[in-house]
Amino acid sequence: MMPRLKSLTLSSLSTLALLAAAPAGATTFTISWWGFNGDKLQDIIVNPFQEMCDCEVVFETGNNGDRVNRLQMRSGAGVDVIYLTDSYSQAAIEQGLFQPIDRAQIPNIDQLYDLAQAPQGEFGPAYTVGRIGLVYDSARVSPPITSWNDLWREDLAGMISLPNITTTSGPMVVLRAGAHAGVNAFEDADAAFGALAELVPNVVTNYNTGSEMINLFSTGEIAVSMTQDFTLNPLRAAVPTIEWAQLEDGEIAVLNTLNIPVGSENVELAHQFINFVLSAEIQQQLAEQGVDAPVNTMVDLTPEQASAWTYGADQIASLHRIDYSQLNPARTQWLDRWNETFGM
Amino acid sequence: MTNRIHPVLIAFTILIYLFLLGPLIIIFGASLSDTTYLTFPPQGLSLRWFENIWEISAFRRTIVTSLQMAILGTSIALLIGIPAAYALNRYRIALPGWLSTLFVLPILVPEIVIGFSLLRSVTVQAGIPVWYALLIGHTLLVIPYVIRVVSASLASFDFSIEEAAVSLGSHPAKTFFTIVLPNIRSGVIAAFILSFITSINDVSVSLFLTGPGISTLPIQLLAHMEQFFDPTIASVSVVLMLLTIIVMIIVERTLGLAIVAK
Amino acid sequence: MKRIAGWMLASPATLAITLLLVLPVAATIGMTFGPSDGGPWGIVQPYANFFDSAFQRRVLWRTFEVAGWVTVISLAAGLVTAYVVARCPPWMKSTLVVLAVFPLLTGVVVRSFAWLVLLGRQGMINEFLLWTGMIEAPLSMLYTPGAVIVAMVYIFVPLMVLVLVGVLENIPEDLLQASSSLGAGPVASFVQVTLPLAVPGLIVGAVLVFTASFTSYATPHLLGGSRQMMMGTFLQQRAMVAFDWPGAAVVAAIMLAVIVATVLVMTRLARRLNPMAT
Repeated sequence: MMPRLKSLTLSSLSTLALLAAAPAGATTFTISWWGFNGDKLQDIIVNPFQEMCDCEVVFETGNNGDRVNRLQMRSGAGVDVIYLTDSYSQAAIEQGLFQPIDRAQIPNIDQLYDLAQAPQGEFGPAYTVGRIGLVYDSARVSPPITSWNDLWREDLAGMISLPNITTTSGPMVVLRAGAHAGVNAFEDADAAFGALAELVPNVVTNYNTGSEMINLFSTGEIAVSMTQDFTLNPLRAAVPTIEWAQLEDGEIAVLNTLNIPVGSENVELAHQFINFVLSAEIQQQLAEQGVDAPVNTMVDLTPEQASAWTYGADQIASLHRIDYSQLNPARTQWLDRWNETFGM
Repeated sequence: MTNRIHPVLIAFTILIYLFLLGPLIIIFGASLSDTTYLTFPPQGLSLRWFENIWEISAFRRTIVTSLQMAILGTSIALLIGIPAAYALNRYRIALPGWLSTLFVLPILVPEIVIGFSLLRSVTVQAGIPVWYALLIGHTLLVIPYVIRVVSASLASFDFSIEEAAVSLGSHPAKTFFTIVLPNIRSGVIAAFILSFITSINDVSVSLFLTGPGISTLPIQLLAHMEQFFDPTIASVSVVLMLLTIIVMIIVERTLGLAIVAK
Repeated sequence: MKRIAGWMLASPATLAITLLLVLPVAATIGMTFGPSDGGPWGIVQPYANFFDSAFQRRVLWRTFEVAGWVTVISLAAGLVTAYVVARCPPWMKSTLVVLAVFPLLTGVVVRSFAWLVLLGRQGMINEFLLWTGMIEAPLSMLYTPGAVIVAMVYIFVPLMVLVLVGVLENIPEDLLQASSSLGAGPVASFVQVTLPLAVPGLIVGAVLVFTASFTSYATPHLLGGSRQMMMGTFLQQRAMVAFDWPGAAVVAAIMLAVIVATVLVMTRLARRLNPMAT
């Protein structure tokens, strides 16, 4: 009987030795992002960058709020470069989690539209500009959606998923609910949440990540959602009948930024990475393959390629900007009311 | 006594078993599908989703981390749990009664509470790196299983044999390894397997302790499920089930399955 | 001498659990008490705040409801199944036990995922119902309390079956024979002999299932979503998304209190109801 125990011990010990021998030597470069469009980003950005830097790239994935919180818990360490929407990078800057960018190390910044070069002072640049609007499955929704107010339509009962309040777009739902009730949500939150309560019968569940929302569409759970435009191409790949609603009451601008946390262990590589992502060549590929709208002025798109994007100086100028100094504090106060509205 | 079970009860039992096994069979079928979305029955057969597991580096990494946590965590738990179980049985009178209560606390306290508390104290306050924090969590999680199962097999061990050996001049430590350990062998193996399975399936503790680049397989599965609804999840599930079947066969061959049911 | 040897052997485990479990959890609970002048409720103000919110009361109540239903359904299904399994011929019994152990060893994420596939709008159940013509449009079944309950019952029935098979097997055969030779029918034997003897086992099973479903995370996360939050998912949201650690600590403390109270009360009850006890 003993030999069996012995061989068991031996085999587990040897497995242990095998597992403990972690890949040594190469630098690990950690990127924090959403995990959205992972396959394409692997091809366009990660693989070429890995070759360039002779490092191994690993990831932390999750939605904006989750990743900022985790970064704060680690006092800004553990991650070398972080992708965030501007609303969350603003919050992280206020918490002192980012270091200023050395623009001398990122020459490609000069090729960007003005608005993307330094959206948040000395901190990171924006690598894409997008908008928040509505999408719907034209096979299941008629007549088409043309206004934010259409969300309240009775024929959309049990068909909508909204972004949770803890995401970038979530607070915009409250702002639009305020507009539906004819008030400014910052001044009269009661009326805004009153309008939101009327929306409840139409909502199936709310989502936390863009990928989760696409799942909800592709499995047929929902037919309408509010989202950022970078989800449009993967959405259409999953459900070809998806349309981006042409809203008469306007769309909201979102800038996605790249930043270097204070605890980054590869600051130089992080600058290289940002420069790489902003280069005309990469921005061109990202736009052509439907990943992100370009902010590099050297990128040239056909009208067809550009149709999904916020593209060109004029269009960028036409979007509503949000005042995050007002919105970020309100978000915390709105969380409980949001829970009470949707979680009862 | 085996006769006279009412047919309605038998029918009900069959239904329960269909309910228990049906979904697992469906996962198995879906994993072989050649479509990019989940369907059952599969429209064409392919193993591409099994290949996909190895192509996605996050799965490769988390499988390794999960195995590391399960094997190392269980080994550490055995190293500190076997002496504790031995002490509890051998010196029961000399030790306070609350000690055995203390040893079951990791089962009593909800896992998610343990995870959150470890995040606060171990990761944030003590600043222990992610990998070690995860290992601490997994070790803690399985200590009670080790102590309970090993205790159960020590309970039927006759300590007078050990005393006889010692009185005949054998060193106490040597006696432990030559007399006691071989007698509780099956208990140790059962403890290892039970702990391994508990650790590899854990969600609630790992949920709070994972960090950049370091995650466990169940947490990665949850993340992947939010991003993609493709058959990769089904094929990972099948691999996990096959692993379970292998473990069960080993258990059955060496000890008999009754030990798991305890 | 014995005391020293005993302590020496037990000390690593004692230290590990004290330092890494007792102290951290105690610190979490310590965090839930506010300053004594924090409000009309003094140091328990954070708890008053918890119960003051209709939403948080709803989350707690929903968790009780779901865990309660899961426990009751699992008990009923588990008892019948275990009764039949325990009376099967030995070869069949061991097969049936293996078939119940197997799902138990498969992870919670995998088993919850199975129900995500089954209950979806384009899932198998909807497709089957559409095919039979029983419904005309797919039903929305995900993200409801029912979905969470079904998946949890699925997860916990095997546990219940195993516990109860063990209990029913230990009931002495002579008792049942005695009862039937005295003229009791199978139903009467079951109600008057088997059931009272099985009560302690039923309580153990019920406590296991109730505490596990009350504190679960993965199943309500996947099948309940953000609109059917339970204590586990709410704790995660408070801690990781809202970054409100004092709030998360209150949720943790309430969960712990419910679990400890359940275990204490039920083990006492089990002891009292055990007819075999002296």
